[in-house]
Amino acid sequence: MISPGERVAVAVSGGKDSVTLLHLLAELGEMKKFEVVAISIDEGIRGYRDRSIRVAKENTNSIGIEHVTGEFERYFGETLDGMVRLAKRKKMSLYPCTYCGVMRRYLLNKLAREVGATKLATAHNLDDEVQAIMLNYIRGDLSRLQRLGPVYFSREGFVPRIKPLREIPEKEVAVYALLRKFKVHLAKCPYATGIHTEIRDFLNGLEARHPNSKFMILRTFDSVKARLSLHSEEFETRSCKICGEPTSSDVCKSCKLLGELGLLRP
Amino acid sequence: MVEVREGKKIRKVMVKSRSTINDILRELGYNREEVVVRLNGKIVAEEEELSRGDSIEVIRIVTGG
Ligand SMILES: [Zn+2]
Repeated sequence: MISPGERVAVAVSGGKDSVTLLHLLAELGEMKKFEVVAISIDEGIRGYRDRSIRVAKENTNSIGIEHVTGEFERYFGETLDGMVRLAKRKKMSLYPCTYCGVMRRYLLNKLAREVGATKLATAHNLDDEVQAIMLNYIRGDLSRLQRLGPVYFSREGFVPRIKPLREIPEKEVAVYALLRKFKVHLAKCPYATGIHTEIRDFLNGLEARHPNSKFMILRTFDSVKARLSLHSEEFETRSCKICGEPTSSDVCKSCKLLGELGLLRP
Repeated sequence: MVEVREGKKIRKVMVKSRSTINDILRELGYNREEVVVRLNGKIVAEEEELSRGDSIEVIRIVTGG
């Protein structure tokens, strides 16, 4: 997953998963001789992200890790809170999680590339992965399903993504973080509602009655994916006509969403 | 009787002999997947049996985001 001499960017929100991953990678990096740099994305969610980023910074400061932050407001001209208000005024149906997800991935990749990272590590745990699998199944989003999971190969402009915790249940990460007494921000994103929560509750009920269900869903998905996506890894990479970032179509998803909101700067 | 605390909320619960933390969690409506439990200050597995006078702290771990 990581070789000596690499420079690994780790996405740190300040939550228990990313703080745990930060410390694990920093410690492993000492032993295995790779560098770690932290990246935080500030979507602009008042009362939530501001606090969690403060916690993230306390952690990187305490172990002396380089830390960069990318704000939605600075890069996209508006905070996520602002985008939600804007969409409401325009009577658009906007799922904050869609915007947040697309733009956060975009910005993480951009910043990781700019700090010279050879890998981008995110702290998705087993629960996150299985929830995403189920959600995209229910929405019938095949392209999102295909892009789920780690990306070990590299394409021009994209920093390969790794998810070192994707087989670790959320609960185990939490136990570890508690035992190590890491400073973490434990709060719920104000936008996390609706079907996401229902899927999570469903999966946790299933797991409690039928242990190992989550892991098997992940395993099965991975093996199905391996059989289906033989050719999908070779899709052509182009530059977004608007922002120049790598994309598989003419205009990247981020710019498309920003355009719908009327936020594209001329 | 054992004491069960989550944040500021404290409950006293009657336990039968050989009851485990799992039994208590179920009785109080917690999903074991979503909590970590400290028994008398120490993090333990939910299979642990309870004795009279124990104190349990329930920590919710599922937050999302
Ligand atoms: Zn673009």
